[in-house]
Amino acid sequence: MLSFSGISKSFEQGRPAALVDVSFEVGEGKICGLLGHNGAGKSTALGVLLGMVHPDSGEVIIGGCPVLTDRQNAIRKVGAIFEAPAFYEYLSGWHNLKILTAYSGAVDRKMMEETVEWVGLGSRIKDRVGTYSHGMRQRLALAQALLPRPEVLILDEPTDGLDPEGIVEFREQLLTLREELGLTVLLSSHLLGEVEQVCDEVVILQRGIKVYEGKVRGMDHGWSTFVIESEKSETLMKVVQKLGGKKMGDLFQFPSELAAADLLEKLVKDGIRVTKFSEEEESLEALYLKFSQVAGKGDES
Amino acid sequence: MKLFFSQLGWELFRLFARKRTYIGFGVFLAVEMLFFYFFSVGRGADRMEAFIERVAGGVNEYFSALTLAFIIVAFTMLLLGLVFVALVAGDILAKETEDGNLRLILVRPISRFRLLVIKFLSCQIYTTALFLFVGVTALLVGILSRGWGGAMMVWSPDLPRVSLFNWNEGMFRYFVGILGYSIVYLPVTGIAFMLGCFRIKPAAATIVTVAVLIGDRILSSIPLPAIDPYREYFITSRMDAWLLLMYQDVPWPRFWEQSGWLLGIGLTGFVIGWLVFERRDVKS
Repeated sequence: MLSFSGISKSFEQGRPAALVDVSFEVGEGKICGLLGHNGAGKSTALGVLLGMVHPDSGEVIIGGCPVLTDRQNAIRKVGAIFEAPAFYEYLSGWHNLKILTAYSGAVDRKMMEETVEWVGLGSRIKDRVGTYSHGMRQRLALAQALLPRPEVLILDEPTDGLDPEGIVEFREQLLTLREELGLTVLLSSHLLGEVEQVCDEVVILQRGIKVYEGKVRGMDHGWSTFVIESEKSETLMKVVQKLGGKKMGDLFQFPSELAAADLLEKLVKDGIRVTKFSEEEESLEALYLKFSQVAGKGDES
Repeated sequence: MKLFFSQLGWELFRLFARKRTYIGFGVFLAVEMLFFYFFSVGRGADRMEAFIERVAGGVNEYFSALTLAFIIVAFTMLLLGLVFVALVAGDILAKETEDGNLRLILVRPISRFRLLVIKFLSCQIYTTALFLFVGVTALLVGILSRGWGGAMMVWSPDLPRVSLFNWNEGMFRYFVGILGYSIVYLPVTGIAFMLGCFRIKPAAATIVTVAVLIGDRILSSIPLPAIDPYREYFITSRMDAWLLLMYQDVPWPRFWEQSGWLLGIGLTGFVIGWLVFERRDVKS
């Protein structure tokens, strides 16, 4: 549904690139989390995805439409929420929705009313946005993103500043949207717990580089993750490749049909003196920190 | 096309729903009331009567609501018009970029060119509305001061001679002149709008536009022979074209030529702004 391939972007010469050859895909109906520290390139990636930032190279495709050459048709399928969405404070929520949806073409009044009710803004929609709480603004942001019906939802720190009840409510709304409308969602967030609870898969960016793409927990699209340590790392790498595995930072990934016991047996048979071996079933937080540290070490070296 | 007008309508709604849009309207009303005082209550009325008697004769006829309204419009818009038109045109895109409103719009399936056309047209419609507002209220002030009826006298150093019109002709010329006055402000909109398309603070777009045009006015007004060959190339010299509509016999070819130049300057500002904005990365 959403494909991001080979995207690179530098804003200024002489400064580190914001994105370096980043590629990932999000399947239809999936919720994908985009993780990374501040400055990791998440907002730039979303900007490229929405056609607001021009990449130096690469291609973005939404629902079969290339964003760079056919932006309007590609974006027609998308609804987006940004961190601290800026509405016209002096206008009512309803007028804000009318103005924004006018840029998408005619939107049926009934659909607007239903959406407003669904996000829970029915009683306050005619009030000025300047009088809204943070939570109400987020509801309005969700309403505008859902008008007219998108196929893809791009969320940039949507729960930022919400109270715990608001976060739980937003999470439930997101899951309901996926269930009822089959929406594909790309969620950028630094709240790992949040991502862990709603996302099927994650992409982790570190200083513009994708360091991980896979399922939220250990298993990665049929891949199992292992910690393997050996005295002869070069030999280990050769055997890993022979067995169809790959190195991801300090970790190794192998096709999941290869059971842990079988893998260990094969490694030993191939002459690897294994000093440490364990299968990783770690939390997203542990995974995230591990890849952050890998990227950090890479920078230092 | 229907969708385009719907988008333009909502943009105008947004623009006119904003309180700061009306600052200009309020300031002009205050200035008009000052003129009312000068011409009706203060000592200025006697001097004005003497001036009209000397220039046109028949002070009772020519010191009318229309004459007074024309003076109010010509002088207030000369400087204040520049400030308020530049304020709106410099603000319309730069402020939305700064506040973040633009991000919510740019995730909609609308091209940047179309968005800019809508915003540019809104600025020009605002300018026309502001000029018409000042024109109508200045006429009301004139009627309050001098009553209904009489004739119209138009005098300016740029006119070859004093223009005199009867009430009906004067009324027609007055409103045509105001429309023309709003159109010659197209370069102001164009320059401020262009600057607003760069990565610049909204206030900077307004200030730079006002500074450029005041500088242009000062240079074009220097009474030295060395400036004469170049005088017509100054933007503000060409903006005086609206006064051609107040000539006894309107020199239409000259008016259209000057208007063409002004249209060209305004649209050049728009095109440069569009080219810059099209290549800009809009990011949080």
